[in-house]
Amino acid sequence: MIVVTGASKGLGKAICERLLARGDEVFGVARDVSALGFPAMACDVSRADEVKAVAQRLKEERKGVAGLVNAAGVASMNLALTTPPEATQRLIATNLLGTIYCCQSIAPLIIRNKGGAIVNFSTIAVALGLKGESVYAASKAGVEGFSRAFAREMADFDITVNCVAPGPIDTDLLKGVGAEQIERIVARQIVPRRFTPDAVCDVIELLLDRRSKSLSGHVLHVGGA
Amino acid sequence: MQQLSAENIKQRIFQTVAGLVEDETVVVTERTPLIGDGRALDSMKLVELCLALEDLAGELGSAFDWTSETAMSRSRSMFRSAGSLATEFLAQRDGRE
Repeated sequence: MIVVTGASKGLGKAICERLLARGDEVFGVARDVSALGFPAMACDVSRADEVKAVAQRLKEERKGVAGLVNAAGVASMNLALTTPPEATQRLIATNLLGTIYCCQSIAPLIIRNKGGAIVNFSTIAVALGLKGESVYAASKAGVEGFSRAFAREMADFDITVNCVAPGPIDTDLLKGVGAEQIERIVARQIVPRRFTPDAVCDVIELLLDRRSKSLSGHVLHVGGA
Repeated sequence: MQQLSAENIKQRIFQTVAGLVEDETVVVTERTPLIGDGRALDSMKLVELCLALEDLAGELGSAFDWTSETAMSRSRSMFRSAGSLATEFLAQRDGRE
């Protein structure tokens, strides 16, 4: 079974659909799971107690967990000087703490499974230092730092930990970002094309594949940076 | 669900630690350190121990949370010795704060 957070929309939803289509067992995690047609549990990943409850349920159901994709995330495109404290806290709580809590709670289940893969989400904004995304980039830079160190901690358990860092992909997270701004970001990618959620799903599949067990501690930039 | 006395549970925990110690000359006692200088287990074995104690708690009809804030603040580190770990395990079983 693969656990996917942020499963109700955006890239998380696309990942679930891709994994289900290829026959994987998927367990979705999202704040609202009422519309999901597969096993799922409502959870705000920024709340450690709720994340622990998800892990407890999976343990009680004795499902072998082979992978975790931490796709839950929020964005706020603002200059640091105009980002309210509440927005800053929400970004750090969901993107960074949420990722850490999920790794802490779900990794023991993957250890029991004798190995697997964890994929966390960063953004190309970290590598490119994008103007107007400083707080968002800070939350994701934290995810990258955590993932790299956590990869070492998990290596003895045959668990890989990597980050996927997409450029602009058509999801709700891009709402409010102007077309010209998106084009400027895309132009700075090594592959200066706009990619779809499918491209991200391809990379996720690669990292979940047990043939990729030599890949750990990496940040894979979709579009290149 | 198993019914074990506190002393039996403590001995089960020590046996579990002993099973994970690679040095066969080490005798696990109350004072056997699990972290820090002279520790009996490396970090990987420590995680395996925690998973084993989760299973033991399940057998006993209770739960063992090795990441709980209260556990860490109460003992500073429950892992400082086999004895302190057993004490924490029993405290969680009994639901004591």
